[in-house]
Amino acid sequence: MKRRDSIKTMFLGSLGATLTLKSCITSEDKLMLDQVWQYNYGRTYEELKWDYKVLTGKFFSNTELKSIEKIANIILPPNDKGNIKDAGVVELFEIIAKDFSTPAHNEYGEKVLRRGLIVFDEICNIRFGLKLLDCNDIQIKSVFDDIAFSDNKDEDLQEAIRLFAVYRGMVLTGYFTSEIGINDLGYKGNTPNIWDGVPEEVLKEYSVSYDEDWISRCVDQSKRNDLAEWDEDGNLLT
Amino acid sequence: MEIIKSKDEYDVIVVGSGAGGGMATKTLSDAGIKVALVESGPYFDPANPDQQTQLKWPWESPRRGAGTNRAFGDFHMSYGDWSIDGEPYSSEDGTDFKWWRSRMLGGRTNHWGRISLRFGPKDFKSKDYDGLGENWPISYEDIKPYYDKLDKLVGVYGTKENMFNEPDGFFLPPPKPRLHELFYIKGARKSNVKVMPSRLSVLTKRINNERGICFYCGQCDRSCSVYGDFSSSSCLVIPSLKGGMVDLYVNSMVNEVLTDNNGRANGVSFINKENGKDYKIKGKIVVLAASACATARILLNSKSKAHPNGLGNSSDLIGKYLHDTTGAGRGVFIPELLNRKIYNEDGVGGMHVYSPWWLDSKKLDFPRGYHIEIGGGMTLPQYGIGWNPNEFNKFFGLRTGGYGDSLRDDVKKYYGSTIYLSGRGEAIPLKENYCEIDPNTNDKYGVPVLKFRYKWSDNEFKQAKHMQDTFEELAYNMGGIPLGNKPTKKDNYGISVPGEIIHEVGTTRMGNDPKKSVVNKYERLHDVDNVYVVDAAPFVSQADKNPTWTIMALSMRTSEHIISELKKQNI
Repeated sequence: MKRRDSIKTMFLGSLGATLTLKSCITSEDKLMLDQVWQYNYGRTYEELKWDYKVLTGKFFSNTELKSIEKIANIILPPNDKGNIKDAGVVELFEIIAKDFSTPAHNEYGEKVLRRGLIVFDEICNIRFGLKLLDCNDIQIKSVFDDIAFSDNKDEDLQEAIRLFAVYRGMVLTGYFTSEIGINDLGYKGNTPNIWDGVPEEVLKEYSVSYDEDWISRCVDQSKRNDLAEWDEDGNLLT
Repeated sequence: MEIIKSKDEYDVIVVGSGAGGGMATKTLSDAGIKVALVESGPYFDPANPDQQTQLKWPWESPRRGAGTNRAFGDFHMSYGDWSIDGEPYSSEDGTDFKWWRSRMLGGRTNHWGRISLRFGPKDFKSKDYDGLGENWPISYEDIKPYYDKLDKLVGVYGTKENMFNEPDGFFLPPPKPRLHELFYIKGARKSNVKVMPSRLSVLTKRINNERGICFYCGQCDRSCSVYGDFSSSSCLVIPSLKGGMVDLYVNSMVNEVLTDNNGRANGVSFINKENGKDYKIKGKIVVLAASACATARILLNSKSKAHPNGLGNSSDLIGKYLHDTTGAGRGVFIPELLNRKIYNEDGVGGMHVYSPWWLDSKKLDFPRGYHIEIGGGMTLPQYGIGWNPNEFNKFFGLRTGGYGDSLRDDVKKYYGSTIYLSGRGEAIPLKENYCEIDPNTNDKYGVPVLKFRYKWSDNEFKQAKHMQDTFEELAYNMGGIPLGNKPTKKDNYGISVPGEIIHEVGTTRMGNDPKKSVVNKYERLHDVDNVYVVDAAPFVSQADKNPTWTIMALSMRTSEHIISELKKQNI
């Protein structure tokens, strides 16, 4: 079975488990499965329906997406470790715009993410008579130099500064939650292992140590598989 | 309205499958008693790949795990949080309460912090020490045998410390501290704050052949697929189903306990959430474990000629004395932890070290204590990482913000350099803090919902102030810089909104006097001799501990009492 088919089967299985009393899978359900097949992360039926909505709608125009891509590439330029394209950063903007659309999110896509593009375009238009997308990198950077730092107190730029901080946050978080970004960060973990304390050389580097009394009571990993038994006072015997 | 009645009569109907309900189901069914377990959410098993979130990477979610659908993020294992579509609740003007609900087999035990602390001798008799609140009708000695059994049955790691009010148990060995926890130990000792290995129900060692051993992914909040942590569903309910004595009803929302003409319970009614129909099942005994507030709601909605004020509510105390643990916290930046050498330090899903309450309240201006939980480390990146990539530049007189390649280095430089301190304290239960039925609002199933009225008193604010002072001192003694502004009186010292710590207890409190309490010392309603409550509703006080271990020990004790009563044919 192809990976896609096997995941589809799993989704069908999960729907079966979730909808204990729903006798058949509707055609709408099938369509939903086709759209969300690439994600398999333990959703409930209601969550799958929401994902379907988020993954199938369209929020940004293609031009807007190109502007986001341009901005993202300047905020975090590609290097040999990774780039925003492989990290799916632009796609994340599109998804978050639709995902953060509940009343609690106060129209985040419209009022924050799209508003950012409008405000950045306005500044470029005032300065260069061009939309951001038509500016060259030097022109865009000259704008960013004014709006990328919170110590700029120019009142006319406060909204742009606030919105730029969101764009920077989105780009960075999108990058560092992607496979390529996590590799770049160097995070080690999210995998079965047997933790047995801070590596010796790290303890040395920070001039800290385990005190003997504390460590002597910690788990002896060579005995982790031995069935626990205690004496009547609660002393571990195994 | 179509009501479907089942033909069978059960010995016991258990409502809710979390810590209390799961333990009752296991204890009763193991004794050969026929049990109906009625759960409002779906079946859940973290070993089912369709439900599993453990070991998923952030990019496996289209929103990178952001908290749109689940308040603590996509991978957090709770179906439901402080808000559930179609099931509202409200608070009286000028007050606020946040009510967490996990609608799933095992309930909140799938996401909890696994912090498993016994209440100490003092915690059952705190009125004797400060004259506030009420004593429990039982003592530590009454519950100790059940804590002991629980430790061996479920597993908890920790160390013997011989502290009067932090009783030792049958512990598995704890994991070694992480690097930031060594910094905390150093700071705590300098501040004369007691620090010791934490006590979590995570299997660092094998306790039976049904459950796996912890493999240190740091994700207990996602519920462990090898059952290396404790969840009621994984460790109590699912094994119980194999014994043939339990019928499990899922997606079944109990709205009422049914009574006969004499006012004794004879079953429950529930709404099947999938088809919207009403069902009735019959039972000799009803054990409520729907969670403190949901149990209160069911009882208050169970009105009859014999019980016009709600079932078991002749005292008018159901819903009263609602209290949650207090919470306040502070982040600490540790400059020494810049540019860390990266290695795997996921560890167990929570802290390896903590501080129990270490002071004598008689010398302080607030009556009850708190413990300190420690967070930090080089954790799995999640939505939000890098958002303010270089905000700590301010501590070095450098500019914050900017753009370009240097942001990459900033994120790496500061990764794993922050420690979070969280105080978790005991509140004084007050009659004026309560939940009640809101007669004007129904949920989407047509059942009247709850309205809350909860305000902290000065005791809690003073305690939170003490937490903040302590955090600041600890921060400097760890060689760190406390983050943000220190919360002051103006911001209530950063104290949590009631309900936010998700330890709400006390709504059917236990006592010997039927006028001053709702259940007796065996958690049975004073008014009705065949209805028991085994969640946190019977708690007289919450202690500076987490409630789960005490819920389960009490549920085990109550279940054994039910078994003995059934054998004696008293019920």
